[in-house]
Amino acid sequence: MDLIVFMAAPLMATLLMGGILVYFGIHVIKREIVFIDIALAQIAALGGVVALIIWPHDHGAHGHEGGNFLTEYLFSLLFTTLAAGLFSILKNKKVKIPLEALIGISYAVATTAMVIILDKGAGSDVHIHDMLTGAILWVTWGQITRLAAIVFFVALFHFLARKQMTGLTDNYHNHDFNPAKKKLWDFLFYFSFGLVIVEAVQIGGILTVFALLMIPASTILLFYSSWKARIIAGLSLSGLLTIPALWLSWTWDVPASPVLIFFLGLALVVGGIIYRLKSR
Amino acid sequence: METLIFLGPPIAISILLSVILGYFGNHILSRGIIFIDIAVAQIAALGTMIGLLLGFAEESFGLQFASYGFTIVIIGVFAFTKFANQKIPQEAYVGIIYCIGLGMALLLAERIVGGSNFISKTITGNILWTTWTDVLFSFLLFSAIGLLHFFFQKPFRAISKDPNHGDSLKQTRLYDMLFYMTFGIVIVKAVPVGGVFLIFILLIAPAASITLFTQNWRKRLIGSWIIGIAGSVLGIFLSYSLNISNGPAIVCLLGILAIALTLFVIVKKSPVEKA
Repeated sequence: MDLIVFMAAPLMATLLMGGILVYFGIHVIKREIVFIDIALAQIAALGGVVALIIWPHDHGAHGHEGGNFLTEYLFSLLFTTLAAGLFSILKNKKVKIPLEALIGISYAVATTAMVIILDKGAGSDVHIHDMLTGAILWVTWGQITRLAAIVFFVALFHFLARKQMTGLTDNYHNHDFNPAKKKLWDFLFYFSFGLVIVEAVQIGGILTVFALLMIPASTILLFYSSWKARIIAGLSLSGLLTIPALWLSWTWDVPASPVLIFFLGLALVVGGIIYRLKSR
Repeated sequence: METLIFLGPPIAISILLSVILGYFGNHILSRGIIFIDIAVAQIAALGTMIGLLLGFAEESFGLQFASYGFTIVIIGVFAFTKFANQKIPQEAYVGIIYCIGLGMALLLAERIVGGSNFISKTITGNILWTTWTDVLFSFLLFSAIGLLHFFFQKPFRAISKDPNHGDSLKQTRLYDMLFYMTFGIVIVKAVPVGGVFLIFILLIAPAASITLFTQNWRKRLIGSWIIGIAGSVLGIFLSYSLNISNGPAIVCLLGILAIALTLFVIVKKSPVEKA
């Protein structure tokens, strides 16, 4: 019984994140911009650090729930929005290099800029380590409520704008595809993605988010070609894998994110083998 | 003058790294597998950690062997996940391997004394600790690899240009194996010196900057060498005078340059087309 009470929150959080991320994962893989989630996550974190430098925490009893939390959040959001704008500008047919390279460069610059800034303060190692792994077992219901609200609105928006969104992704490498307000929709795609990433990284850490984004989506892309089938299969796959992964991490007493990554990876290998056998 | 003596080895090593990584960067850029260096670096670091767990001493032969062993296995996987008809971009596989490598490293870090410190070291590196012996050894190693690539320049370039090139898939895979293996050796050597991000930026940023302006292979090579060398030397002096870490300084300098140049190309009214 204790187990159920304790695991309810992490399970809820992982299912919510897994659901929305698998959907974005299909977009990201189809657009071949694998780096983008790590880049946006890192830029969001940089925003938080910049806010921290301008208005330093009073390291008292408040801890992370202190009054600066809102400013940090707003700065994360601001930086993510700027990056989203930048990425939609950089996607231009005059540019002869893959967008992936520029996204990767932004990632490297954001990470090292954070190192330069944090060098001046203490505890930089801890901050970087937290960013990578997160602490999904310690998620609060307050965080989950906010995550659920964001997931709901982003999902609703993407459902209403499904024609524009899937159209953009399916024709991503086609320069002759120029629907109305293409740049605006592209910006909205990155912006809504950024909203999810800022929220999910705070809960799950960069690695878990990346795994949930990429691995289930890669697995189901092997088998399904319609958007509806992909989304349904992706949701079921990441939901089914989350439960045993969290349970094992609890019973073995190991961090949740590596176990989850291992399970997702295993499913991809199995999926790959089935695909090879079938296509013979 | 003392400054120059002190900064001699770091400048020399960053020039060497700029040259070899600038070359590989143009291949990587043409192949569109940007993530690969971070993935290979991460796997090499994972190999080192497993070696440490097995009880090899730091900087021992056994430890290096473990690191190279892991890298070569994973590079085999890269070469063989290249199928004739791809549904999922190879980049996705590379990203997933990176993710699993980092996840396992974090899991292992809890079992090794100072494991967490080891992970931050792979992120930042430190070129200020380079000695002239390191410089000489790197020079010899990189020259040997450069020579090998000079001999095989035709097939390597053909595959980078068109991934399905070659008389047979088997032959392409064999060349790929050789390409990625030499690349892996360079990365395994370079990451402890410069850290993952400096290596990444030296690989991609100069090549990306120059490819914006010309598609000619020779011009791209020379251009990336000039940009890489100028950026790293300037970055080292800048970090020295501003008293910030050198790796991150170079990364920010070259990275911001590449993004600024891209924006410049977009804003510019008539793009200059060159063959």
